[in-house]
Amino acid sequence: MIRKILVGYDASDSSERALAFAVELARKFNAELHIVAVSRPPEVGDDVETSAVMEQSRRHFRRLLDAVRAKVGTPPPACVTQVLVGHPAEQMVRYAEANDVDHIIVGHRGHTVFERWLIGSVARQVIAYAPCAVTVVRSSKS
Amino acid sequence: MTEIWTQSALWIGLALVATLLAIGLRVATALSEIVVGTIAQLLIGATFAGALMAADASWLKFLAGAGAILLTFLAGAELDPAVFRKEWKQAGLIGLVSFAAPFFGCAAIARWLLGWDPQASWLAGIAMSTTSVAVVYAVMLEFGLNATHYGKVVLAACFVTDLATVVGLGLLFAPFTMKTVVFAGAGIASFVVLPWLTPWFFRRFGNRPSELEAKYLMLWLFGLGALATWAESEAVLPAYLVGMVLAGTVGKDHALIRRLRTLTFGLLTPFYFIRAGSLVSLPALAAAPGAFLLLLAGKLLTKVAGVYPVTHALRSPRQEGMYTTLLMSTGLTFGTISALFGLSHDIVTQAQYSALVAAVVASAVVPTIIANAFFLPRHLLPAKESP
Repeated sequence: MIRKILVGYDASDSSERALAFAVELARKFNAELHIVAVSRPPEVGDDVETSAVMEQSRRHFRRLLDAVRAKVGTPPPACVTQVLVGHPAEQMVRYAEANDVDHIIVGHRGHTVFERWLIGSVARQVIAYAPCAVTVVRSSKS
Repeated sequence: MTEIWTQSALWIGLALVATLLAIGLRVATALSEIVVGTIAQLLIGATFAGALMAADASWLKFLAGAGAILLTFLAGAELDPAVFRKEWKQAGLIGLVSFAAPFFGCAAIARWLLGWDPQASWLAGIAMSTTSVAVVYAVMLEFGLNATHYGKVVLAACFVTDLATVVGLGLLFAPFTMKTVVFAGAGIASFVVLPWLTPWFFRRFGNRPSELEAKYLMLWLFGLGALATWAESEAVLPAYLVGMVLAGTVGKDHALIRRLRTLTFGLLTPFYFIRAGSLVSLPALAAAPGAFLLLLAGKLLTKVAGVYPVTHALRSPRQEGMYTTLLMSTGLTFGTISALFGLSHDIVTQAQYSALVAAVVASAVVPTIIANAFFLPRHLLPAKESP
């Protein structure tokens, strides 16, 4: 039984596809939908700039998540939105554990060479450490 | 004027390239600007004999210096006065340990292993002692520790470390004459007056398109900066302290802080960091890489030795304690400011400056790589399987 579904969202094409899939699944199972956006500090940060980047991206994601409720259509599933800070995979797995999520849905997209070298793909990390089932929604290109 | 506009177009062009690189690599723009400045000086300086870069032109020095002052003010304004007042004893102890371990350790390395003279060795200690509060704050948010006792103490401690660095830089090389007394007196009077004068002034005259707030703040920062340099101290010392005393008022005005950041990052700090990079001599660094490597290793080992036991004592989980400790080793802003102060006051040679800046840059990158490779929380350990 799927009661809680978690989807990662950043307004990219891949996350829009993941959100559409998650909404459909939530309707089918009458599940609660948790939509999270993760604000990422720079990999190598410095004083004031890191604060500025985090403040700006958290504000940006809050606006995105406020707008995303309109996208879930009707009838709307029960919806929780949250902006987290950190590495997307780490934060999604942490959130899933803390909130007893039954299913995680993530999009799949490319990363910069540096990001991949430092932490690898978000989807791969979520699959490796998730406490529940994971669906990776791939684009036709990937 | 043609020459000045050509030079400024070149510098802003370099800043744009550095920003694009920083976005692509997801690294601090300051780091990218230092590296771009170093490479540009090597390429353009060699081709045009340094005339086009003009790193010593007075207009460029002013923009760079103003950038350092405003950036330091903004760093000070990030302090949370309520947390600091509540946790100052514990935070003071940790912050001073986090400052003293690399300060004395790296000064000893410079003096006894590298054979630098005493003044240059102390400056090396100062440049290597810093910590980036914002980077540690990001880590605390990531672990959800920012609201805990541990998180608040560590964050307040980072401010103490940076304060010790700035005070050390401002006072260690000052000659202690009557000018020092005048500067200290004027500084203390300003720090007492500013917290009540500033909110009143902003309420009475502020919130207009003429950006009165920015002009008022710059008047105090440049005025105290002038007094500091007249007393042969460093202009960033009063700037950081003004930021700290105004953290509870100006620091909470997010719209004003955002406008000051736009001015600082958009125009001023590119000149500061590119200039800091352009003064690095890559040939000197390549000829004697030992100094850079020893200082880098010294900073990492002394930070870990000083800070990790404290995170352990505060009952932080092992992985997260080491992750926090490693990221406390970053400190581009104050490290670069200290090194440039040393070069401009003839405390260090260009070769020593190059080793210091290289070690400061590497101390932002290397601990991040080590932290991500070996000490990430368990969810980000290397994947066991691929999709």
